[in-house]
Amino acid sequence: MSETTRAQLKGLAGLAVILACWTVYAVYFSPTQGWTFYLQLTVNGIILGSVYALIALGYTMVYGILKLLNFAHGDVFMVGAFIAFGVLTLLGGAYNPAIPAGAGGALIVLCMFAAAMLGSGVLGVTIERFAYRPLRNAPRIAPLISALGVAFFLENSMLLLFGSGFRTYNGFDLISYNGIHLGGANGVFIQYLGLMVIVSSVALMVALIALVRWTQLGRAMRAVSFDREASAMMGIDIDRVIAATFFIGSALAGAAGVMFGLLYSQVYHLMGFFAGLKGFTAAVVGGIGSIPGAMLGGLLVGLVESWAQGYLNGNVADLVVFGILIAVMLIRPRGLFGTPELQKV
Amino acid sequence: MKGRARLGVALVGVVALVSTAAAFASANSAKASAGAAAIKCGTTRTIGMAYPATGPAASIGTAQFAWANYFVKRWNALKANAKQKIAIVQGDTQLGVDTAFAVKVAQAFASNPKVLAVVGPAGSQEVVASTSVLQGAGFGWVSGSASRVSLTDGVTDGVNRQGYFFRTVPNDANQGPTVANYIRLKIKAKSVYIIDDQETYSQGLADSVQAILKAHGLSVTRDSVSQNTTDFSSLIAKIPASTDVIYIPWQLSPRAQAFGQQLKAAGKNITLFGSDGLFDPATWTIAGSYDSFFPIDTNSAAIKAPGAPGPATYFGVPSYAAAQVVVNAVTKACADGTASRDEVRKIIANTNIPANASVLGFKIKFQKNGELRYGGDGVFQIQPDGTYKRVG
Repeated sequence: MSETTRAQLKGLAGLAVILACWTVYAVYFSPTQGWTFYLQLTVNGIILGSVYALIALGYTMVYGILKLLNFAHGDVFMVGAFIAFGVLTLLGGAYNPAIPAGAGGALIVLCMFAAAMLGSGVLGVTIERFAYRPLRNAPRIAPLISALGVAFFLENSMLLLFGSGFRTYNGFDLISYNGIHLGGANGVFIQYLGLMVIVSSVALMVALIALVRWTQLGRAMRAVSFDREASAMMGIDIDRVIAATFFIGSALAGAAGVMFGLLYSQVYHLMGFFAGLKGFTAAVVGGIGSIPGAMLGGLLVGLVESWAQGYLNGNVADLVVFGILIAVMLIRPRGLFGTPELQKV
Repeated sequence: MKGRARLGVALVGVVALVSTAAAFASANSAKASAGAAAIKCGTTRTIGMAYPATGPAASIGTAQFAWANYFVKRWNALKANAKQKIAIVQGDTQLGVDTAFAVKVAQAFASNPKVLAVVGPAGSQEVVASTSVLQGAGFGWVSGSASRVSLTDGVTDGVNRQGYFFRTVPNDANQGPTVANYIRLKIKAKSVYIIDDQETYSQGLADSVQAILKAHGLSVTRDSVSQNTTDFSSLIAKIPASTDVIYIPWQLSPRAQAFGQQLKAAGKNITLFGSDGLFDPATWTIAGSYDSFFPIDTNSAAIKAPGAPGPATYFGVPSYAAAQVVVNAVTKACADGTASRDEVRKIIANTNIPANASVLGFKIKFQKNGELRYGGDGVFQIQPDGTYKRVG
């Protein structure tokens, strides 16, 4: 077993112990006791965490390849949500869909996903081409500032084009308000929409892992993230690999935007700011540069936010989430799945 | 060398102190004279309007501007006003983002010598933030929605706005009892869950309703969310299914709409009750929900006239009244060809618009502290077709 794997297992074991202690406290000793409440919050957290995980994947992939924190990523998520809203409006909206009811809702959602992922992917590639590629050999601060500039540019462009009003998907009206009850009518309730979000996120993550592990492009991405210069010398087209990485990461952010709009129904020009921050936190907590880490980090952030809102107060949910970011940085700066940087001696 | 360096530092310090004192003195004297400075009125007089043109509260801001601008258009269209037209200078306060925007708007108005009075701002926290600038500039300002009680009591936040700040809506001291009494007497609720959005407006109303309901023996649970919250699922999980009413005195109607949808999606059919900040037929459409709102007379000529902004924008009607108050005051002050902000402010304090000319359904007259002398809040219910029907 490698040193890296041992360290990761240690981290996971520590996390498991903390979660187990928390579960015991929440269920048996907290002011709001009981398994039903705990499990309901856990389900809510998994749904939310699935969205954060998709955003975190984009951050982690770009960092892995370019060592760049793409602060415009949250706004790519926002643009994806807007694109999907446009498609939904073109197809008649939630209350008057052009495609007949029944499977109609699912078909419309598929169209929204396709458009958002494609649009966000193209946007991501465009941002990389014009805002980051020229700065590839510049000091690290330059592309970081460029990323911030792109973020503000996207936010204000959307404000100028579409105004500040909130767009509403009315996702529950489009899909269904129903769901499944686990443990009877007073048990844990999972909406069909929430289930759809979890299944879609898992499917996308599995697809990403498969791409990275078993395709030529994935091998090239791993090689470039390990050593860009050596990869170039081995004949890998660096520009193409980086563009593909941005496309895939941005497409995932676009998908997250659609899920967010369906679940929480509030699409506006500033929605990418907090969601992007939480996605970034998830990527860091999981280990920036690690794909499994981003997934786990996303789920963790979603769970912590849900538990904090449920057991404490809406005031402190964000406090707790970002407090954990600081704690992880202090205790385990590489994150849960982060790998130590090797230095050639 | 060391001695010279010390002397140099000391000299710089003295110069800095003297300059600061001079700037402070001149700023104070500038403030003192800002309100008294008279301008030539000309044929077009200028008023400022501070409202959230963008940001999460843009829908209510747009409604407010629509109605204030509607009044100004009607005024300017009259032949009698051909030589006393009104122009509006707009300021976007972005309510719900940061009160710093409201302060910037106030500063812009203060530094524009043509602006004689101000309509707005919309939010109580914006009034608090911009008071020192507006008051320092000598403005009288009339809000069509800021309803926090302490804005006029001269005690709670340590600021006395008497003679400067006025409002064409009843304050929360009126709204709170209206809501609480409706919940316990009409809806006959036994258990109520109150959620504020952490803003002073919301907390004030929540405190007021909570106190009254508890005093009458109802079971009341209190919670809060941030205005930035989008995922309400965990909060909703905390709310017992046996709750009769959830009271949400929030400012942002899109959040309330999302909350209502997520509540329904969680399988909890609990009645929602909102406050005047949620009176937004274009956005908040959860059928069966209640909303308290300012008094308006939907039968008044101005509201029924063909060019009037529609019912979806009724949140802005008190801003029509606010513009009416301000424009009347500016016109009276300009009777002799010149006017100062002080003059306009004093005329605003003595406003007396008869009921038949008022969109509020009663005479518009102010008490000494800037409150309306007459009027009380109403309760509306959202119908299945999305319209708001007055029920109390």
